[in-house]
Amino acid sequence: MNWPQLLVTVLTLGSIFGVVTLSLNLQYARGGMINFGIVAYFAVGAYTYAIFTQPPPQGLDQYKFGFGWPWWTAVIVAGLAALVFAAVTGWPTLRLRGEYLALTTFAFAEVFHSLLLNERRIGNGTVGLARVERPFGDWGPIEEKYVFAGAAALLLVATLLVFRRLLVSPYGRALDAIRDDETAALAAGKPAQKMRRQVFLISAVPVGFAGAVYAMFTTLAQPSLFTAEVTFIVWIALVLGGERSVYGVVLGTAGLVFFEEIVRAWPFETVRSAQIAASVEHVVTGLVFIAVLRYQPFQAAATRLKVSK
Amino acid sequence: MLLLQFFVSGVATGCFLILATIGFSLTRRVEGFLNIAHAELLGVSAFTTWWLNSHHGWHVLAAAVAAIAFTALVGLGIARVVYDPIRHRGPAVLLITSTGVAFVIGGALHGLIGTGIRTLDIGLANRYEAFGLRVTSHQLIVVGLAAAVSVSLALFLNRTRTGLAIRAMAVNPELAASRGVNLSATSRATWLLSSGLAGLAGVMLAVLATLTTDLAFAQILQILAVAILAGLGSLYAVILSGLLVGVAMDVSAYWIPAGYRPLVAFAVVIVVLLFRPAGLAGTRAA
Repeated sequence: MNWPQLLVTVLTLGSIFGVVTLSLNLQYARGGMINFGIVAYFAVGAYTYAIFTQPPPQGLDQYKFGFGWPWWTAVIVAGLAALVFAAVTGWPTLRLRGEYLALTTFAFAEVFHSLLLNERRIGNGTVGLARVERPFGDWGPIEEKYVFAGAAALLLVATLLVFRRLLVSPYGRALDAIRDDETAALAAGKPAQKMRRQVFLISAVPVGFAGAVYAMFTTLAQPSLFTAEVTFIVWIALVLGGERSVYGVVLGTAGLVFFEEIVRAWPFETVRSAQIAASVEHVVTGLVFIAVLRYQPFQAAATRLKVSK
Repeated sequence: MLLLQFFVSGVATGCFLILATIGFSLTRRVEGFLNIAHAELLGVSAFTTWWLNSHHGWHVLAAAVAAIAFTALVGLGIARVVYDPIRHRGPAVLLITSTGVAFVIGGALHGLIGTGIRTLDIGLANRYEAFGLRVTSHQLIVVGLAAAVSVSLALFLNRTRTGLAIRAMAVNPELAASRGVNLSATSRATWLLSSGLAGLAGVMLAVLATLTTDLAFAQILQILAVAILAGLGSLYAVILSGLLVGVAMDVSAYWIPAGYRPLVAFAVVIVVLLFRPAGLAGTRAA
């Protein structure tokens, strides 16, 4: 097994999905919103980046738009597009709470997925957009994959810092107050509904950026990359790391990605054994999920730390 | 005429959705959470039927009965082992846990069955024509079963001791317990019933469709659409909303490509939620 390669991949993908998990953590642990359609915002980022960087359609291409913009403008647009998508989907759904919100966000993600799948004018339907532009082609002696890992890690650190700054501010404390006791927070003059909506919008932006970086990394924007499975994986990572703990969330994501990459990189002899390995991966992921939710080892450790202090 | 034909097949689709959703709604009503793994139970039942029928040469009816019983027991087992110990953590944790359960069942099905498409060893459906409209015997079976299940479930919940206990527990568990309802026995009955209903829907799935291992997961979207539309946890509204979603999905194929069917289902849901935020049967207070 090629360990250095594996570690670089884990660092890159772990950072990309870490950004998504962090945003989900902000929505769930701070805003009290269960977003079961997070993959849609990720996909919006990826597709926006692909559409804005690719050349205009030609030959067999079925997509309608290709702007050929430079990569950095496309990344910014990807973040903005995720913001707009969050505003559009948040408007009808955020009036709902709890499981209704979970289900409608899930529904929106599925609708968006089926739109990508069926509407060939957006991104060639099932085929997707291939050969998405990779900006850091020429970086002298350093290999491209290391530059990528660095860029993804940078995005993760930036997101981490911004979110932390936000959460230790009075704004963050007001969010905690709303989550803990909405009636009391309302009585203290905190606009609960409005702030929840703001959190929903703010947290969508890094997800859009992460989507753009993901599209660069895979050089592909295809519906099959953005299924409900991504949502579940990110949720599992969140639960694994222990909600409300920012570093735990990042570690949880890295651990999950590491586990998946090992299964993927394992040299299998036959197609059937690879198939079985893939299903075992599913089963184990599910079992870990169930066990972590039941025993909550990370939260228990965190409480113990606090007590001993 | 073609439009009417789509309408007829939509009614059959709707009846299947009623069968698939009613167990899901029963769980939500009594146990108080959304069991995402419900759809995977359809898969368990469908593949058990297929395995007994085409590998062991059982008659399809015998295979179906065995599969339904097996699925009911699997559902009960999962509830006892996985859901009961974490019940006190609330519906959100249960909901997220159930996606983990769905992963486990889905992965196990993939590993045991493998990819590829499979069909039951039964004859092709008979076709009947009336007034220029075609229906198949399989469609008639689904419609008949949906009607029979709805009526007998209503009778069961209103006339029998266990049924009344289930309803009492759904409204207020403590009060029910103080009036002599055995909560664990009632919960057991609920899980057997709802998983058995998933089993029945799974058999129907095996009869109507060609089976692939990801077919079961695809059903959860439509189940969710029907359940939200009905208002989570209401049972009688499931009948109406199942028919509504089924007909809307099939009739929409008249104007737009069939690939958009799930999209249509959720478009209906979103429109309804905008006007009635708690579903068709929901009250504003809830």
